[in-house]
Amino acid sequence: MKYAYYPGCSSEGSGAEYARASEAVLEAMGVELEEIDDWICCGASPAHATSHLLSIALPAISCAAAEKQSLDIMTCCACCHSRLKQTNQQVKDDPKLRAQISEIIEEDYKGSQNVLHITEVLAREVGLEAIKERVRKPLKGLKVACYYGCLMSRMPEALLTDKSEYPMLLDNLMEALGAEPLDWPFKTECCGAALTLTQTKTVIRLSADVLHMAKQNGADVLTVACPLCQANLDMYQGEAEKLLGERFSIPVIYFVQLMGLAMDLDPKRICLDKLIVDPFPILAQKGFVDGAVYL
Amino acid sequence: MRTDLTDKALHSEFRRKVEELSGQNLSDCYQCGKCSGGCPVEPDVKVSPNRLIRMVQLGMEDEALSSDSLWHCAGCCTCNGRCPMGIDIVRIKDVLRSLTKNIHYGKGSLEAWTFYESFLDCVRNFGRLTEIGLMGGYNINSGWILTNVKKAPWFIIRNKLGISPHTIKRIDRLQRVFKRIEEIEGK
Repeated sequence: MKYAYYPGCSSEGSGAEYARASEAVLEAMGVELEEIDDWICCGASPAHATSHLLSIALPAISCAAAEKQSLDIMTCCACCHSRLKQTNQQVKDDPKLRAQISEIIEEDYKGSQNVLHITEVLAREVGLEAIKERVRKPLKGLKVACYYGCLMSRMPEALLTDKSEYPMLLDNLMEALGAEPLDWPFKTECCGAALTLTQTKTVIRLSADVLHMAKQNGADVLTVACPLCQANLDMYQGEAEKLLGERFSIPVIYFVQLMGLAMDLDPKRICLDKLIVDPFPILAQKGFVDGAVYL
Repeated sequence: MRTDLTDKALHSEFRRKVEELSGQNLSDCYQCGKCSGGCPVEPDVKVSPNRLIRMVQLGMEDEALSSDSLWHCAGCCTCNGRCPMGIDIVRIKDVLRSLTKNIHYGKGSLEAWTFYESFLDCVRNFGRLTEIGLMGGYNINSGWILTNVKKAPWFIIRNKLGISPHTIKRIDRLQRVFKRIEEIEGK
């Protein structure tokens, strides 16, 4: 199994732990990655809010490079995934757009490769059975609230072919690790996404709602598959606590980090120490890590 | 707000332009309000998604383009997912946002455009986004110099900063792409 790997910009900054842990888990499961040659930013919301053509052209440059590698594209970031997948679909469906984009990016681009999110690769292509077999330290008794956010569940043409209002991909993966995924109502609520800089208050209010609901349902940890959700829920947790006058202390952990933990991978590669809300106390309490001395 | 349903209001040039750019038929919307019922930022805005669509239906250009809901929208697509007519509401909002490029009015518009421009400048210059470049550009250009500064120590303690901007190999091609799109859209 081999994919053209699109790491996305967050893999070089605030979401580095997500990319490193993903690479480690995929390697352990025998999935080969070939980084897309000279990939560029997908443009995210600033591109599609300002120019439709730009929002297609930017992902198209990276997708065209993957087409040359003749590999399906895999990415970890939920936002990049939705941009790449929408671009691919629109170019495939619309010959006029295909011609225009090919001319703009100076390269022939057909939209012939599939775009997959890492959750799909792990849950569907690698398979839950294979993951169950690879687990060394089951996460028994860990109550996990799986948080999908909006980009993974609702983007037009970018659906993970999962139920948009009540997805199960992450829950199934957590179950395979031996953890207890919770049945809770805020799986696909929005965290405020890219409004972080411009409408911080909105982000804090929305993130607080998600954290409050997770706490109320008895979550030990929240697990996410999107660097933007992680940043909002983790970085603004202090402000969210102040807003609601309630203590959360819920670590927001990437699902691949939990997978790496259950598979007993090198702790240096799953980077749990990069999270802002310290995950070690709860993980030590449950006996998954040795007593943690940490900041 | 009172608006007369004249022929002129129902067949405005503004409505035609939004329909053409977004590829959506605004007559499909029968104002059921499901989009607003699910909208997570609805409590923060004066104009809910269905009212925004109504404004465009009635050709109320100034009201639509200056509405705060454009800048509070998180692009979460709940409205799209729940619209019984399958209207791409997010695409309509994108079109409205792009129409405010040279106007900059409405609460939040300036911050949003500063964010978009800082982000895209960074992509244009380096090919990839660096968070330092984005935050720096945003804080300086918006005048809100202290935005998120309180978060900086965390980035340093947890070693989360990608410091060196990574320049891609074919940056010249990328800059031609940006220029070409500006030329096409400037027409």
